[in-house]
Amino acid sequence: MYSLFRGSLAALLLWSWLPAMAETPAPEAVGVQEDVQSLKQQVLELNRDLFLLEEELLFPTNTQVSVFVSLDVGEFFQLDSVQLKIDGKEVADYLYTPRELDALARGGVQRLHIGNLRNGEHELVAFFTGKGPKGRDYRRGATTTITKGLGPKYVELRIVDQTRNYQPEFAVKEW
Amino acid sequence: MTRRTLPLYLLGLACLTAGSAIAADKPRQVLDLDYGEVLFQFYQEDYFAAITHLMVADERGRLPHHRKDADMLLGGLQLSYGMLDQAQARFERLLDKSADPALHDRVWYYLSKINYQRGHYRKAHRALEQIGDNSDKALNAQRALLAANINMALGDNAKAAQSLRDVRAPGGWKEYLEINRGIALMRAGDITAGREVLDKLGKQPAAGEELRALRDRANLGLGYQLLRSGDPAAARDYLNRVRLQGPFVQAALLGAGWADAEQGDFQSALTPWMALSKISGHQPAAQEARLAVPYALAQLGDGKQAAAYYELALDYYDSEQQRIDAAIDSARSGNLIALLAQADTGTSGGWLHANPTLEGIPSGRYLVDVLAGNGFQESLKDYRDLGYLAGALNRWLDKIAIYHDMVDMRRLAYERRAPKVRERLARREATQLKQRWQQFKARVDAARQQDDPLQLATTQEIQQWARLQDLQTRLAALPRTPRHARMREKTEWLRGILYWQIQADYPVRWWENSKQVRGIEPLLREAATKQAAIRQALQRAKAGFDGYDARIKALHGRIVALLPRIEAARGASGRHLQQLALGELETRRQRLVSYRSQARYALARSYDQLASTPGERP
Repeated sequence: MYSLFRGSLAALLLWSWLPAMAETPAPEAVGVQEDVQSLKQQVLELNRDLFLLEEELLFPTNTQVSVFVSLDVGEFFQLDSVQLKIDGKEVADYLYTPRELDALARGGVQRLHIGNLRNGEHELVAFFTGKGPKGRDYRRGATTTITKGLGPKYVELRIVDQTRNYQPEFAVKEW
Repeated sequence: MTRRTLPLYLLGLACLTAGSAIAADKPRQVLDLDYGEVLFQFYQEDYFAAITHLMVADERGRLPHHRKDADMLLGGLQLSYGMLDQAQARFERLLDKSADPALHDRVWYYLSKINYQRGHYRKAHRALEQIGDNSDKALNAQRALLAANINMALGDNAKAAQSLRDVRAPGGWKEYLEINRGIALMRAGDITAGREVLDKLGKQPAAGEELRALRDRANLGLGYQLLRSGDPAAARDYLNRVRLQGPFVQAALLGAGWADAEQGDFQSALTPWMALSKISGHQPAAQEARLAVPYALAQLGDGKQAAAYYELALDYYDSEQQRIDAAIDSARSGNLIALLAQADTGTSGGWLHANPTLEGIPSGRYLVDVLAGNGFQESLKDYRDLGYLAGALNRWLDKIAIYHDMVDMRRLAYERRAPKVRERLARREATQLKQRWQQFKARVDAARQQDDPLQLATTQEIQQWARLQDLQTRLAALPRTPRHARMREKTEWLRGILYWQIQADYPVRWWENSKQVRGIEPLLREAATKQAAIRQALQRAKAGFDGYDARIKALHGRIVALLPRIEAARGASGRHLQQLALGELETRRQRLVSYRSQARYALARSYDQLASTPGERP
């Protein structure tokens, strides 16, 4: 009886002594994983080609306009949503999840809108809603006129902290 | 300072040692928006979208400033997405392409990690040896852990412990390094040193659940090691440190009882074992406690109570065995896989943040351990990723039909409009306009050269000028009477007035005409360019439509060819998961069978003892 308990203990002991962070896959899983790897690669290549086709068909380079959102530091402003209007027409109204905000805060840039515009001047208005300094509700707008020429047009809506007045600043940058 | 970051630093943490709460950012400006977009997806662990966008941006040449970073990022993304072959090939190419020592160090680290994940420990070790002295603390910490794991896998525990000694690591890493060092020392047989390390770790205040669990683990491991080496009193001290609310409480209670029992104090041993036997848990420790309680009672001489508890244990094992048999039947029938399909979360890549709900799965309570295991998680990720891939391709299948129709509609519109456009092109309107402009320009130039204001007279003024000239001609033919003389004089005066007006406006007119001439010229050039572009577009349109047709057809063919292969791989992955689950259930069943036979044997012996004891009847 006693020895049986010792046997059980030994099993538990082995379990508790596994390295804290190391595990390797079982050999029988390797075959399946190799298939999955190959399929992933093929689907990714196909997905890329489909994306390229879609972009060419829906957003030809001569009319394509993309609007991006980026966040620099973001200590004075907690972003909730962004509303975007081009030539008075709403083209995006985006509500952010905590995961997306984290990705923005770490340097990610979100493509808020992709669409088509004729050559010439267009008015772009963006409204940023969230919590400002001291947790107060905050809503600010940024307006700019962009000139669409030949080739795709990239516009970046940047939320930047201004340390001189402890306020967020909303800037529009054309690329 | 900006906090936009490159993910290189994070790759080692988020991708390779997921689960660690440590992360540090390395500020660096994102110079290509497309690269920032890839980071946005990467930080959300949406690796499928991130890899796709990186490949698209690369194809479009939209990463001029992050070419080198993009290569490294793609390798890391592939590694995170379980594409070890592709990641390895990319990293090896990077070694050839770059001479940057810091980049080489990171690449060698990833190559070592890939080989370790594949079980190629010697190759992993060789890759790790290529890494030079590095000032990057996070990389140092990761390298040390990886070196320890590789050495342990190779059976060299002493070297594993050595590699974890005095590592310059960032805050938060120390506890991980130390517990691994303690484990390595123990495994190497250096009990004293291992105990010292784990003892220190087990007493440290821990902030956060992850570190508290790590501390519990150190105490638990140390307690069991001391039990085995024959120091139950010291073992009890360490096992007492394990939190009652923590994940290791059951193993700790069982061990605590054993520490008491080893010292002959079966009365004390009953306290943790009784507490454990009342837990409605299904972990091995709780199951074993059902046997341990009557064993202690028997040792205390209470045969009657011991027999009663053995009977309770038998009932418990019988009912548990029935449940496990039902769970095995259910898992074999495929119900388990159907329920695990709840792992389809709509994203691809990254760790499963929550296990698929175990509610409603008959075997759920027994699968907690296997579900948390790396092998099951990896297979479940494959199962989920394959489901995601199939979903993505099916969505493309719907879209591509629409794109096919779209191209057809455009072709129709082209065929309807093209004849009219060709007709207008044939009229050479732009050429004619240019000729008219050239005539106008010649007229303005002539007016300037001849200094003749009449050249820029308005149509009305020209008509008036001609009429006055006509009047003068006719008056000249009339007899010279005083009346006619007055009329001639008046005509001459009017002619002078008209000329003076034209001459007075001449500078302004010349300036405005010159301005118009200059302004029209670029418009004419643009018209000519557009005309040429339209002519070219007309010529290319048909080839373009045919090209889209061919591309759509080829892409459709690729989707249709891949879907059944994905389905088959998903089936294989599901079967593998089923095998893992069945393996775990079978192990548990065998354990129960063993416990049950021990209980029966002990019960029979108890009855014998009771029967042979005067005054006692079972």
